[in-house]
Amino acid sequence: MTPVGTTGEAAATEPGAPAPTARKSGPGELLTRLPDIAPLVLLLLALGIFFSIKSEFFLNYDNFLNILTAAAITGIIAAPATLLMVSGQVDLSVGSALTFCGVVMAYVADKQGIFLGIVAAVAAGLLVACINGTLVTVIGVNPLITTLATLAAFAGLARVIADGQTLPLNGFSTLGTSRPFFDIPLPVIIFAVVVIGFYVLMRYTVIGRSMYAIGANPVAARLTGLRTGRLIFIGFLLSGAFVALAALINVSQLSAASTQAGNGLELSVITAVVLGGASLAGGRGTIVGTLFGLLVIAVLNNGLTLLSVNSFWQDVARGTLLALAVSFDQLRLRLTRE
Amino acid sequence: MTSAPFLLQARGIRKAFGGVEVLHGVDLDAPGGSVLALLGENGAGKSTLVKIVAGDYQPDQGEVIVGGASHAALTPLSAREHGIRMIFQELADAPTLTVAENISLGRWPTRGPFVRWDEIRRRAREVLDQLGVELDVDAPVGTLPVGERQIVEIARALSDRARCLILDEPTAALSAQETERLFGFVRRLREQGTALIYITHRLDEVAEIADRVAVLRDGGVALEGPAGDFGRADLVAAMVGRDIGEVRRPAAPASVSPAPVLRFDRASVDGAFDDVALDVRPGEVVALYGKLGSGIAEVAEAAFGLRPLSRGAIEIAGRRAKLRDPADAIAAGIGLLPADRQREGAFLVRSVAENLAAPSWWSMRTKGLFISDAREASAYGRWHEALRIRSRNDPAQLLGTLSGGNQQKVLLGRWLERRSRVLLLIEPTRGVDVGARQEIYRAIRELAAGGVGVLVATSDYEEVVQLADRAIVMARGRVAAELEADQITTQRLTEEVGG
Repeated sequence: MTPVGTTGEAAATEPGAPAPTARKSGPGELLTRLPDIAPLVLLLLALGIFFSIKSEFFLNYDNFLNILTAAAITGIIAAPATLLMVSGQVDLSVGSALTFCGVVMAYVADKQGIFLGIVAAVAAGLLVACINGTLVTVIGVNPLITTLATLAAFAGLARVIADGQTLPLNGFSTLGTSRPFFDIPLPVIIFAVVVIGFYVLMRYTVIGRSMYAIGANPVAARLTGLRTGRLIFIGFLLSGAFVALAALINVSQLSAASTQAGNGLELSVITAVVLGGASLAGGRGTIVGTLFGLLVIAVLNNGLTLLSVNSFWQDVARGTLLALAVSFDQLRLRLTRE
Repeated sequence: MTSAPFLLQARGIRKAFGGVEVLHGVDLDAPGGSVLALLGENGAGKSTLVKIVAGDYQPDQGEVIVGGASHAALTPLSAREHGIRMIFQELADAPTLTVAENISLGRWPTRGPFVRWDEIRRRAREVLDQLGVELDVDAPVGTLPVGERQIVEIARALSDRARCLILDEPTAALSAQETERLFGFVRRLREQGTALIYITHRLDEVAEIADRVAVLRDGGVALEGPAGDFGRADLVAAMVGRDIGEVRRPAAPASVSPAPVLRFDRASVDGAFDDVALDVRPGEVVALYGKLGSGIAEVAEAAFGLRPLSRGAIEIAGRRAKLRDPADAIAAGIGLLPADRQREGAFLVRSVAENLAAPSWWSMRTKGLFISDAREASAYGRWHEALRIRSRNDPAQLLGTLSGGNQQKVLLGRWLERRSRVLLLIEPTRGVDVGARQEIYRAIRELAAGGVGVLVATSDYEEVVQLADRAIVMARGRVAAELEADQITTQRLTEEVGG
């Protein structure tokens, strides 16, 4: 090996000591060079192999579709949530907004027909989004607090409209249950289209780039001429629109609108997004990462169900996974900085 | 407390950082009942010296003698016990706590486990009376103007029985009126027997307030004696020393178009600057020189749509501009390099290519809203070479992994890619090391040679001398002087800014 330093002084140091300009090597170097989602892909493979060995029902086409169907509703909401998180925002109201949209849909459809029900559900989603967007970008309230407020308010409002009951809705099952090609359920196809759409939006458009910039440094974003308020508002609108879509699918699958439909959904969404590598501080994160985050959670839940593990343990497993993932990410970030 | 007059002495202080000695055996006397003005350029060693006196740093050699007792090294705690207190330029108060709480900060009187609020208020009123100030002791300190927050800091030092008070450029952020009031307190403290060490850049203040003056240069005392013995020119010569001839002037620009690209027409922003008229023509570098708080940064910010004008107008390329926000200013052809690079300019967790392209995204898009990576990468290719950005030469490298000087070049390249006609730079080389500084100067000169009008707001006079074709000197929100090419000397700038 040739010594890195050429002066006598540098050469005089002991052979093992790295010169100041030498590249870092060892596990630190390896960790920082891996693609961001590599650990997640490995984890998914490991889970797949483990459950394949443990359960004869895991590795087949139908179960594969089950997993994707289970991930679809969370996934359709997690895509705009990734965009928001990348811009340094978060939307906690998605769960109760889903409940609210579903209840509005069933309520209006019962009196005015399916079509107006759909229109009303979309309008309901956008209403929640406009309230969130206005409070955050015009008034300047912290997004966590804003959406915590709308989370509470719209969960309550949904119960008021439904009078605490589950509203039945018949004749609207196509969206949630039909299987147009290869036996693939329509929600899974919609999920795939949404993921691809957001991939393109975030990767290749001005809006996507701008959202990353806003999350990385909102002050600098404004000083480079980005209209930050407008863009964040668009982010919330997208979140509201896709929550409405997810609500329609949910109502269609159950042939009813439940006032419990969206309970805890915001936590599943944020878990998937953060597991996928998006930083809560903004500026970092990808749709592909979120997709793998969703898949890991869905596979874990599916596999544990197949092994007849109590569903309470599934929550424990998901929480543990999230804690491990963010710790790993933090560790890696520290290594990159050094 | 002793009845003998207070005396603080530093003897033979030496201090090195990382093998480089910044103080070479400095002596300093600060007797009670007198004001010592401490002058010197940035890097002359003033801060290091006073921090040793205040116990923040320990000297490598020498001693600090307080009240007859010698100390090889004071600690912040022991310095405080000896009555030495320092008021920092960046206020070290607790903005959400009240005036009274701040004055007793860290020494809250208690009865059992409970804080005695009546005692806290009583103490605060007592010390404020002593200073002759009327302040609401229950007001949160953050709601007060800077000048009054400084008074609260002084009151805090006094209530802690300070006998030697070190003031680090206390008037830098104060208005003329607030400065007068501060001088009143300084005189009152002097009469009460306090020793005052007063660090300043403003030469006019020396004659006004100081009894003695000491000038530090390159880690040694260049001049020391009664303040009345030295004129302004003596002080400047002592501060600048041998460096006068060493700063090289740029060559005159080859072609400057006569029509200004940026023009301030008697523009004012209330509370920041007043009645400012200036022209920047394509191809020239104009320096806006002044001290912190003189309004130079605010002028640049107004030209970038960050501060609405109260009166007057801004014209860009001969047309009156309506600048509501930075997006308007950028669309009109203006770029800004902010002073706080990391906080206001850089997307540290994003790639170099994205950082370069950000303001150009809308003009870079292909069909609809799409950006092609290829166009971003070609922008990177153009400026990586031209600006000599030292990196792994990978467009995807994160900006945060580049050195400060190279980050600054990337942010400069951002406006080159945007083809801005006017570039506003605020303190472009603050915190940038000497080597990279020269490269940034060269890049700025090349930019001007390419037809861009450059306005540099800076408080570093050497930067003005090395960079500017013309210099506009500002003091307390107004234009104090306008200097043409060969009038721009360190001597002249230092004189004009204080006057």
